Amino acid sequence: MFPRPGRDIGFPIAGCALLFAVFLAGGLIYESFQGRAAERLVTVMLIDAIIVLGIQIYVGNTGVLSFGHIGFGAIAGYAFAVFAISPEEKLKRIPDAPFGLNDVLLNPALAVAVAIGVTVVVALVVGIGLARSGAESGAVAATVITLALLFVTHEVARNWPDLTGGNRAGLTFKVGAALDSRLPIYLCLLGALILARLFAQSRSGKLAVAAREDNLAARAMGVNPLVQQTAALLISVVVVSVGSSLRVYENGSILPDDFFFNYTLLTLAMLIVGGRNSVTGALVGVAVMTVGRELARRLGQDGFEVFGLSLDAGPLDWIFRENLQTVFLGLAMLGFMIFRSDGLLGDWELDAWLWRRWRRRIPEDQPEPLAEVAPVGLHAEVDREGAALEVHDLAVDFGGFRALDGAGLTVAPDEVVGLIGPNGAGKTTLVNVITGIVEPSAGWFKLGERELTGAPSHDIARAGLLRTFQNLRLFGASTVRQNVELAARVAVQHRPGSHPPVDALIAEAGLWDVRDRRARELDYGSARRLELARAAAMAPAYLLLDEPTSGMSDAESAEMIGRIRHMAAAVDAGVLVIDHDLNFITGISDRIYVLDQGQVISAGTPDEVQADPAVRAAYLGAESDAAR
Amino acid sequence: MTELAQNLIDGLGRGSIYALLALGVAVVFGVMHLLNFAHGELITVGGYVALWTLGAGWSWYIVTPLIVLSAVLTSLAIERVAFSRVRGSSDFTLLLTSFGVHFVISAIFLLYVSASVKPFDRPSWVTNTYSVGPLNIEVYDTVVILVTVLTLIGTTLLLQRTMFGLSLRAAAADFDTARLMGVRSDTVIRGAFALSGLLAGIAGVFWLMRAGSISPGAGITPMLKGVLAALIGGLGSLRGAVIGGLALGLAEVLLRSRLPDSIASLTEGVVFLLIALLFIFRPQGLVTVKHAVRV
Repeated sequence: MFPRPGRDIGFPIAGCALLFAVFLAGGLIYESFQGRAAERLVTVMLIDAIIVLGIQIYVGNTGVLSFGHIGFGAIAGYAFAVFAISPEEKLKRIPDAPFGLNDVLLNPALAVAVAIGVTVVVALVVGIGLARSGAESGAVAATVITLALLFVTHEVARNWPDLTGGNRAGLTFKVGAALDSRLPIYLCLLGALILARLFAQSRSGKLAVAAREDNLAARAMGVNPLVQQTAALLISVVVVSVGSSLRVYENGSILPDDFFFNYTLLTLAMLIVGGRNSVTGALVGVAVMTVGRELARRLGQDGFEVFGLSLDAGPLDWIFRENLQTVFLGLAMLGFMIFRSDGLLGDWELDAWLWRRWRRRIPEDQPEPLAEVAPVGLHAEVDREGAALEVHDLAVDFGGFRALDGAGLTVAPDEVVGLIGPNGAGKTTLVNVITGIVEPSAGWFKLGERELTGAPSHDIARAGLLRTFQNLRLFGASTVRQNVELAARVAVQHRPGSHPPVDALIAEAGLWDVRDRRARELDYGSARRLELARAAAMAPAYLLLDEPTSGMSDAESAEMIGRIRHMAAAVDAGVLVIDHDLNFITGISDRIYVLDQGQVISAGTPDEVQADPAVRAAYLGAESDAAR
Repeated sequence: MTELAQNLIDGLGRGSIYALLALGVAVVFGVMHLLNFAHGELITVGGYVALWTLGAGWSWYIVTPLIVLSAVLTSLAIERVAFSRVRGSSDFTLLLTSFGVHFVISAIFLLYVSASVKPFDRPSWVTNTYSVGPLNIEVYDTVVILVTVLTLIGTTLLLQRTMFGLSLRAAAADFDTARLMGVRSDTVIRGAFALSGLLAGIAGVFWLMRAGSISPGAGITPMLKGVLAALIGGLGSLRGAVIGGLALGLAEVLLRSRLPDSIASLTEGVVFLLIALLFIFRPQGLVTVKHAVRV
């Protein structure tokens, strides 16, 4: 089912080839007008593009801003230089090189491989710290670590002259030994494009984007963001290493300042101006910023001519001075952040657009009804007899407030169980505990024989406990279908034997006609149904539904009862549904637990519970007092 | 033993400046969830004020309040021009906005003043030392530590005893709820930027006294130290920022004196390694801040 050869591989590669051709043609045309002077500019632009694409793989897919990629670039650049520069040249600059590196000489391709290897090892170490701190204190902490990395690589490069040639001399290739052909650049750029695009289409890329959109929702459906972010980091560092080696090789030298703040600013500005969430955007950004910066540079000199149009900065030369391009970069970054933070293209991709145009011609049939393709659960491989959800004696303290106080319940595999209680009774806290979001201070819960207390959210989801959220957590920028497909991907990976019928689930949720709409554009009821379908697509053992009808009208609520029961039966899942709406809960449940002040005060069939005086006192409060 | 005591004093002096910087970063982070990469530019601006006024023959006693004032005004101006427009945006946007501000400010000095490093006179007492038993103590370190202690006491009183302080702490704990309780977001945010500028200004005075020069890129290092210290301490915690600053200063001084000569120049790298290890084993920083996430 995944990957689909046309949509996920063929089209992206074709799209990348087309992008590459257009990008290159633009450069070559400019060159043919401007002559040799423009040659260097175009070469530099092509190399910048490789590095920016490398950064895009990490920043775009994970949403974590990284200043450190140019630091990684510096490490790769120095590694490449040390291995590719001939011993005679090294003797002049770094006669005391450590580890006997003085006598080493590799051909450039091998030196690039070494550079990649060294950088990836560093990235792996940094990546663990990044991933762990990012998980605890958000993306901001990760960003600071990347910034520190950039700063420290620079410090080390300046202060370790034995290896790097220090701040003034640096390392240089012998005159004439630098890169003299563009072919390697072309190949690397095309490769970087395809790699970046295929990563975004890959399972790992999709999951990373899901975590970018909503970290909590992604974890609650079995995604471990740390794994995806580390994968993105390593791949992006490989591309950045290649680009940085080329940059050094083309330059013929490397100095600490070549890979520092200014280059970080340039590459980041390129990335965000075009649109960091899209490979096409990254490339567009490189082109736009190269042109803009060149104009600013020339304007900072003394007027110039482009295509016969002459621009004279004479009267304004008190504003337009040398170094104008730095102000231009800073202002471009600031302006885009304030007025258009998603860049020129947002998440628009050339190949995705082509795919949509192409597919529109082929009408899609309404999928088979869910009942005919289901059940899709795990019964093929797992004996579900007795795989009950057992929750025992849970307690949770928030500061001095005891949100749960010894609450417990059980749900059998084919049951729909309701959990009802007034606001603040601890219903959502209970679901948060059994999905690993809140840690209990006492008690345990298990699924079948497997104890899950204290397990991380994504493991619990993979074990088969899938939840929806009271305040809706969809992947807003993704379409309805992509939301459900993502769950299906995770299910295929982690729920053995499951083959969730994506289209049938979408149709069952009444969303077939809006399947290509972005999730954030959906009306409230549709969004709720999408969240249900997405959870069902994980082939769960149990669905945990947190107020699935909140904000719905009575008629919609009543309709939702049928949908939930239908879908749960189709994917062969038990249901624990939470609400404070008595009519809804009695309408949907086989059994009901009543929660009040963190404790279960009553349990039984709907009729039994409704007749229980303790429930009437707690839940109906004043009314029952009056009745007495 | 003597050496250790000497290192501790040096480290406290250095750490005090980091603590002031980190506290300024943390105050703004608290109200806006913005990690201000432009924080060091407050010192850059102060540095050029010092360059011009000292160059005109003014004394450090007059220049000092001017540096602090310029930092406060710059901080408020940046908030008005840039940060007020991205309030409530994603972390990504906030971070890059502050990065952009950093570059625009330093590029303006680069363009319209000079790219080179400009020296100015340091106060004569900066390099003086006095002896207490076997210890050589710099007058500078003593002044820095004293002023920092006073500043921290003042800041604590401001935060604990005034209505503004209460609003600021409430906003830092939960911005939305604070607003619902009648805290005016504009006032709190501007106040936070003013306070942040004040702290940066005081730190900046000492930074510049020691450096004795200014260049367009001079704000990068203090910014990085402040931001790193705030992170080490635990983002969002004001107490953590101070602890983080002191810890960073002590770590730098101790490492520089203890590392073998061959790698002493790589102290920064070693410090970073330690920070990376800290985050692997204690990702939330030294002081844990509980974030309430509604699910």
